Amino acid sequence: MLKEFKTLIPMVKKYKYYYLMGLLSLILVDAGELYIPRLMKRVIDYISTKGFSLRFVGETVIIIMTIALGVAIARFGWRFFIVGAARRIERDLRSKLFSHLLTLSSSFFGRTKTGDLMARATNDMRAVRMATGIAVVAFIDATFLTVAILFIIFSEYPKLAAISVIPLPVITILVLSAGKFIRRYFKAVQEGFSRLTENVQETLSGIRVIKSFAREDYFQKKFFKTNEEYKNSNMRLVRLWGFFFPLINFISGISIMLLFTFGGIAVIEQSITPGDFVALISYLTMLTWPLMGMGFTVNILQRGSASLSRINEILNQEAEIKSTEFPKENNITGDITIKNMDFSYSGSDKGAGEDKTLESIDLIIPKGTTLGILGRTGSGKSTFIRLLPRLIDPPSGTVFIGNTDIREFKLSELRSSIGFVPQDTFLFSSTIKENIKFGKPDAEDSKIMEMADLSTISKDLNDFPGGWETEVGERGITLSGGQKQRIAISRAMIMDPSILILDDAFSSVDTATEEKILKGFLKVRKGKTNILVSHRVSTLFHTDNIIVIDKGRIIQKGTHKELYKTEGFYREIAILQEAEA
Amino acid sequence: MKQEEIIKNYDPVIMKRLLGFTKPYKFHVIIAVTALFFATAAELMMPVIMQKTIDENILVTYSRVKNTETSREILGKIDRNKIVIELPEYVYFTDKSLKIPSEYYITKRTDNTELIKLIQDNKSKIELSGEYIIIGLEDLNNLSIRERRIIRESDINAVKSRGLIYLGLLIGGLIFTFLQVYLMAYTGQKVMEDIRLKLYNHTVRQSLNFLGKTPIGSLVTKITNDVETINDFFTSVATSVLKDFSLVAGVLITLFYLDTRLALITVLSIPPVFIATYFFRIVARNAYRSVRQAVSSVNTFLSEHISGMDIVQMFGREEANRKEFNKKNKTLLKANLSEMYVFATFKPLMNLFTAVSISVIIYFGAGNLLKHALSLGILIAFIDLIQKFYRPIMDFAEKFTILQSAMAGGERIFSLMDDVDRIEDKGTETLQTPVKGKIEFRDVLFAYKENEPVLNNLSFTVEPGEKVAIVGYTGAGKTTIANLITRLWDVNSGTILLDGIDIKKLELKNLRETVIPVQQDIFLFSGTIEESIKTGLNLTQEKIKEAALLAQSDHFIAKMDKGYQTILNERGSNLSTGQRQLLTFARVIAQNPQVIILDEATGNVDTETEKLIQKAIEELMKDRTSLVIAHRLSTIRNADKILVLAKGHLEEVGTHEELLDIKGIYYNLYKLQYESQGNI
Repeated sequence: MLKEFKTLIPMVKKYKYYYLMGLLSLILVDAGELYIPRLMKRVIDYISTKGFSLRFVGETVIIIMTIALGVAIARFGWRFFIVGAARRIERDLRSKLFSHLLTLSSSFFGRTKTGDLMARATNDMRAVRMATGIAVVAFIDATFLTVAILFIIFSEYPKLAAISVIPLPVITILVLSAGKFIRRYFKAVQEGFSRLTENVQETLSGIRVIKSFAREDYFQKKFFKTNEEYKNSNMRLVRLWGFFFPLINFISGISIMLLFTFGGIAVIEQSITPGDFVALISYLTMLTWPLMGMGFTVNILQRGSASLSRINEILNQEAEIKSTEFPKENNITGDITIKNMDFSYSGSDKGAGEDKTLESIDLIIPKGTTLGILGRTGSGKSTFIRLLPRLIDPPSGTVFIGNTDIREFKLSELRSSIGFVPQDTFLFSSTIKENIKFGKPDAEDSKIMEMADLSTISKDLNDFPGGWETEVGERGITLSGGQKQRIAISRAMIMDPSILILDDAFSSVDTATEEKILKGFLKVRKGKTNILVSHRVSTLFHTDNIIVIDKGRIIQKGTHKELYKTEGFYREIAILQEAEA
Repeated sequence: MKQEEIIKNYDPVIMKRLLGFTKPYKFHVIIAVTALFFATAAELMMPVIMQKTIDENILVTYSRVKNTETSREILGKIDRNKIVIELPEYVYFTDKSLKIPSEYYITKRTDNTELIKLIQDNKSKIELSGEYIIIGLEDLNNLSIRERRIIRESDINAVKSRGLIYLGLLIGGLIFTFLQVYLMAYTGQKVMEDIRLKLYNHTVRQSLNFLGKTPIGSLVTKITNDVETINDFFTSVATSVLKDFSLVAGVLITLFYLDTRLALITVLSIPPVFIATYFFRIVARNAYRSVRQAVSSVNTFLSEHISGMDIVQMFGREEANRKEFNKKNKTLLKANLSEMYVFATFKPLMNLFTAVSISVIIYFGAGNLLKHALSLGILIAFIDLIQKFYRPIMDFAEKFTILQSAMAGGERIFSLMDDVDRIEDKGTETLQTPVKGKIEFRDVLFAYKENEPVLNNLSFTVEPGEKVAIVGYTGAGKTTIANLITRLWDVNSGTILLDGIDIKKLELKNLRETVIPVQQDIFLFSGTIEESIKTGLNLTQEKIKEAALLAQSDHFIAKMDKGYQTILNERGSNLSTGQRQLLTFARVIAQNPQVIILDEATGNVDTETEKLIQKAIEELMKDRTSLVIAHRLSTIRNADKILVLAKGHLEEVGTHEELLDIKGIYYNLYKLQYESQGNI
């Protein structure tokens, strides 16, 4: 468990003065809290004798108030220091996490769900914060108070203390043992809530289908069930959590009851004074919290360590793809050479031919030409193009730009020379303009306009309420698929990269518009290298060379005219599409 | 970004409506409140029991006066709570207000042999009078502990039995608290369940007009998160406000019962507490608001950049994004710290108030004690009660924030509930079976937005079993026709007839089961493939397989590990686009509608899948009236009739060849849209 907290050591060290000051404040609070009952005892013993002077009472009361003021300030102090430190550590850890995420490769993001990463960045982060803040406070407070109170009451009233303290350890045991169940039930509640949200989300996304099929009743029944289950999981938690504090109150009440009975008899026998009696009650009441705190500390630390290990899992992920130590400074031209490349996602077992995604790829793409790629879904063409900007790492000695292995370039250099328009368009929730100049924040308006004209998105601007400054919403939710794709094209074009890859980037754009974009595109890209992946033969028609990929191999190579004349997959597809038209 | 109001001031109308939802659980609430009352009473009785034990059993001392007419009269008027023992010579009493020094202890004689022996041994010190024995305090204090125990046996027994009463109160309090917590939580959960169900049912019955213009995310939030704010309100505020109020009130009543003067002094300390709470509330609310904003800004950024990490890396934006994130993260830290400072000030301040209050009470209490106007037991009870008094007040401020976010949540929920925008379902007629499937549009006029008609006096007829294609430029109103026939929208004027009956006069369910549109955007519900095909219908395995076979889906379903029981991922992502399309066809075939409206997809699928889709479409249209919003030339060529729409009018009608001969809109469209591919 403690091993996990290693990540935090440098951060805790950074704020060690916060912790020291917090510790000091906390001990001041406890000392003051412990001293006040003694003063009260003094006053009460004093006034239960006959003929006392009110002046002495007044003086003591003023001392009590002064101590209380000191305690109040120290109370502010520990929150300021310890909670402050925990918040700062949380901030540091969150920054560290995000910085680290930025270095990880797409294969990592492929196998890790966004929701899962978000949970680590929020829920787990909170658990760590509790472990570095409240748990520290509870631990110091509980230990100090328990030891001090037990010492005081046992040294002064051993018999009474022994009797009344009996029920109290039950509190610690209760907290410790309930913690596990509470956590489990709580998790069930959270899962129930996610299912509820998913259910509503799905219903509303598919509302057209539901309405068209007149199936509202059926979906209502489904929702009713999820809703009922969520309620039930909440009730399970309530049955445990809701009864928890009353039960603890009850146990500490029993201890007071024991003190009240046996202490009362002791006062009658005059073996203790009435003041002792009152002080003992105060001390015993004060003992309830630290005993609870002990249990909570253990629970919070356990949770914190589990959460921290989940965060560490990410922080320990090595960036699989990074620049070599001594990158070559060669210019990145547009000449791409691929030499006998095999690629499989599993990586290591290169011998096993079956799970190779790409096999024996030999290809030269001269600078200034446009390559077209045709292939079925799952043929490996998306993998192929993702190898070029090293979103996936090719084996060394297989992919070259100019005469340099792409693995020898500085990664950032390589990527900024290769533009990419991915299949699934992803836009950030800012304005249209911001999205277009995403990779070139200092681009001039005229340049942005030019790129917008090129992708024909400029024509749609009039339809948007805010024109350029229209917010596209989360992931561009307010835009149509075609609009998103065209913005993504502008976004890649504005970088003016030596190599530009379009992965089925016109799928949501109608053929006429595609024609128009392509014509402008090829004019602007003259002298630079382009790669177009498409299902449409009408798109591939515009390229200089075409390869057909099937089951990870290049099965055909040539120009459109050549391939159209030769028997084979390409000709088949072309004819099918012609018939279709 | 638009920020929704997250907290709102108390609004009695919203509160009333929220509480209205508890009506079905009236019985639970009544029992819970009763239990709460008993639990609070038990809690408050404990210090009282303690006070009585201290004053009457533990620290009891007596004053005495000669038993005369006057003394009896005076003593007759004193507090009935005080013990008065009348013996022939003296009257003994515990009331200290007469300022007669207490110097005696008196108790009943028992048959205890030890006591008899003790009396004999101490004849000079112990007086006997009737069934009582009397001893001066001075003398009592000089006895040994054992002897004191013998003399005060009755007090010791009383302390023990009062200890048991205390235990009884603890147990009673625990049981009533359990009952109260459970019932209130149950009520709260049931109310939430009801509200969610009501919202859900309301929302799915809203018209597409409403659903189309409201972002799904915001509707989901209302049904889930906003209801949750009310949950917090019910479980942690409503119950505890009741409890806190009864506790505060109970404490005050008990204080006044115990000692009026001290109670008045305690009450004087309330206004500063309320003033502090009032200011705290305002500051805490603002702090809470900025925390929420900062949290959502950080989380949005994070989730978006995780999803779009590819793009960030491809465009080399890592450093810039790191900086941006750190900025947002810093803002969040600042907001969190400000909130912490507010609470770090308030809580210790309240503790300080408690300590000051207790100190003041001790001082004034001591003064009264000196004047014999107060007993020590009462002073001790006060100290305990004042602590009980401040605890709920300390929590109150935090609870107020929850109350305010519940108000904001409630407002959003009710605004959704009150916004009724539905397609009227007042039709009573049903179609005669077998349905023939004749569709007739008569002078239909329709506009999504006022003054922007999409369809303008459109009239046409589709005969039973006919295959009709609709073509036209984007925005000509093709999709709208599908929306109108199924009454996802209602026409502004004109009529649409199905088998000669105005569709508005038909039961909505009857209409929609007869006419089913196949949409362009493919949406599959999560669940198994079988469930997806059934979509709520009760179908046999054979029927499902048959539908899948017709929709050319059986072969790929059969290849999957679990066949028809394969679970579809979120949005069916474990299938290719083409396969998903085929599944939507299977789904429609399984419903067996008489009329289908097909909005052909334009998306790219590989050519072989495309062939399968073609075949499935043919199966889909067989023996049915079909209206196709066509993109594929093959579909158009095979149509019995082609309707060419332009600007909401019907411009041309005819077969493919007839329309080409006219050389009108269709001819142009055909050239533009389809020829480029034929030119290869």
